[in-house]
Amino acid sequence: MQGSFFRRSSAAGLPAGSGSALPALLLVGLFFIVPVVALLLRSVTDPEPGLQNYAALFGSGTYVRVFLNTFLVASVVTAVTILVAFPVAWMLAIMPPAMGSVVFGIIILSMWTNLLTRTYAWMVLLQRTGVINRALMGLGVIHEPLPLINNLAGVTIGMVYIMLPFMILPLVGTLRAIDPMTLRAAALCGASPFEAFRRILLPLSLPGIAAGGLMIFVMSLGYFVTPALLGGTSNMMLAEMITQTVQSLLNWGLGSAAAFVLLVVTMALYAIQLRLVGAKHAGGGI
Amino acid sequence: MKLILTGLLAGLLAATAAKADEMAFTSWGGTTQEAQTKSWAAPFEASSGIKVLQDGPTDYGKLKAMVDAGNVTWDVVDVEMDFAIKAAKDGLLEPIDYAVVPKADLDPRFSNEHAVGSFYYSFVLAWNKGAIPGEPTGWADMFDTKKFPGKRTFYKWSAPGVIEIALLADGVPADKLYPLDLDRAFKKLDTIKSDIVWWGGGAESQQLIASGEAAFGQLWNGRVFALQQDGTDIGVSWNQNLTAADVLVVPKGAKNKDSAMKFLAAATGPTGQAKFAEASGYAPINTKAKAEMPADAVKALPDAHVQGQINLDMNYWAEHRDEIATRWYAWQTK
Repeated sequence: MQGSFFRRSSAAGLPAGSGSALPALLLVGLFFIVPVVALLLRSVTDPEPGLQNYAALFGSGTYVRVFLNTFLVASVVTAVTILVAFPVAWMLAIMPPAMGSVVFGIIILSMWTNLLTRTYAWMVLLQRTGVINRALMGLGVIHEPLPLINNLAGVTIGMVYIMLPFMILPLVGTLRAIDPMTLRAAALCGASPFEAFRRILLPLSLPGIAAGGLMIFVMSLGYFVTPALLGGTSNMMLAEMITQTVQSLLNWGLGSAAAFVLLVVTMALYAIQLRLVGAKHAGGGI
Repeated sequence: MKLILTGLLAGLLAATAAKADEMAFTSWGGTTQEAQTKSWAAPFEASSGIKVLQDGPTDYGKLKAMVDAGNVTWDVVDVEMDFAIKAAKDGLLEPIDYAVVPKADLDPRFSNEHAVGSFYYSFVLAWNKGAIPGEPTGWADMFDTKKFPGKRTFYKWSAPGVIEIALLADGVPADKLYPLDLDRAFKKLDTIKSDIVWWGGGAESQQLIASGEAAFGQLWNGRVFALQQDGTDIGVSWNQNLTAADVLVVPKGAKNKDSAMKFLAAATGPTGQAKFAEASGYAPINTKAKAEMPADAVKALPDAHVQGQINLDMNYWAEHRDEIATRWYAWQTK
C-alpha cells in the first residue's frame, strides 16, 4: 500500500496526466467542496454562532434514535446484499462468457429503470392487498396478510434489490481474478467444498466484499426515497429527518449539523476501509 | 478556461434574470396545481400578456433559502396558512398590495397583511366501502379497532389535523380544543399506533384508500372528490370536518412583484375562484365565487357542510409549530 502511494505521487507532487483531470476536480471543488464547507459553516452559525446545533442534535432522543436506525438499516441492507450477491457473482465468474453477458445484461437493465418506478412497483407487490399477499392467501399458505411494507422488512427488500448490482459487479471482478487452480489444489489436499470456500475463496474475495459492502453501506446511509415509501415512521432514516428539519421546521442550522455528522461518519468509515483492505481496492474491484 | 467559465456564468445569469413579461408560480403539483394552472394562470396570461411559469413543489426550506440568499426565483407561492403566518413574522414575505388585489369580497378568515387566500379545504373521514364493515360516523371510530379492524391512514407530517382528531375522538368538545393538550392527544394516538399507515401526499392517500390497503382515513376533501369523480366506491363522513386553508404569498425580494400582485388579483377574483373550486372540489375564498358555479358543484364543497364544521386554529399552530413538530417526530419515530 505504501509503495503504491509513493509511486503515484512521486513526480514533483502531481502525478502525470493530472492536467486532464482538472475539469473533474473543478466540478467537485465548485459543486461539492464549496457547498460542504458552506454546510459546515451554517451548522455553527445558524441561527447564531456556536455549537448549539450539535448540542441539540445529540441531546435529542429523536435524532439519536433516527441515527441508530439509519445505521441499523444500512447494516442489515449491506449484510443481506452480500449474502444474496455472492452466489450470483460466483455464478457469473465461472459461467461461459456468452451466457454471463446475458445475465450481466439483466442485472444492468434493472439499474436503467427509474428508481421511483421500481420503488412503486415494490409497493404494489408488498402491500397487504398486494400481489404477494394475495397469492399466498389465495393458495391458503397464510390467512392474515404478512406485514411486508411500512417496516424494516419492506425497506430491506426494496433497498437490497436496488443495491445488488453495486455488490455483484465489483465482486465478479474480484472472483474472476482468483486462480481457479487454488480451489482445485484445496480439493486435492482433501478440503471439503465448504472448507475450500471458507479458507480459500472467502479470504481471497474479501477485498471485493469489503469494497462493495462499504459502498453499499455508505449509499444506504443517505437513502431517501425507498425508506420513505417502503418503511414506517419508526424506521425513519436520517435523510428524511433532515428534509423535515429543513423543509418544515426551516431549521437549516440543525439540518446542516445532522448532514455534517453523517458526512464525517461516512468519511471515517472510508478511512477505516482504506486501512483494512488497502487503497488499491477501495474504489471497487472492477 | 476562465473566459469560458465567465461566459457560462453570464449566460446563466441572463437566463435567470427577471423579464418584465414573466413570473413564476409555485404550488404542490398534482391535480391541485393543474387546476390552478387552468383556472388562474391560463386566463391571466391571455388577459395580461404576462407569462406564468409553473414550478414546484412548494418547499418551505427552499423559500427561506431563497430569501436568505437574496436570490428569489418564485414570485407567487401556494403555502399552508399556518406557515404563512409564521413566515410573515420571520420577515420572509412581501406585504400584499391591496390597492391591486381587491379585498372587499375575500373571506376575512383566510387573508391578512402578508397572505391572500388560495382555497380552503376540509379534512374528512373517508372509507373504502368494500374494505370496511359498516359505516364509520365520526373520528372516534378511527380509534375503535374492535368495531373497525384493519389499517387506518393519517397525514404523516406535523400539521394541523391529526392532533385535533385524536382529541375530538377522546371526547374533547370542539370549542375546548385549544390550547392543544398534546399529552392527551399522543396518549390517544398510542392506542392505535401500530394500526396507522401514514400518507405523505395526496396521491398516496388516494392510493391507500382506493386499493383498500387502508380501510379508512383522514383525507383532504378534494382528494376524496377526485376519487368519487373517478367512480371509486368511497364513503365520506363530513361529521366534524376540519377546515384549513392554503394561501398565496409573495416571497420577500421576489423579482416580479408587480406581476405577482396582478396575478393574485386574478386568482382570488370571483371567476378564477369559481373555476378552481369546480375543478378541485376545494372551497373558494371569494364570497362571490359560488354565484358563478353550477349548483351541483357547490354541493361538493366544504361550504355545504358547515354543520359541526371545526376551523383549525392557524394562529395557534403558527405560534406553536416548532414545539408541536418536535414532539410529533419524537413520538412518531419511537
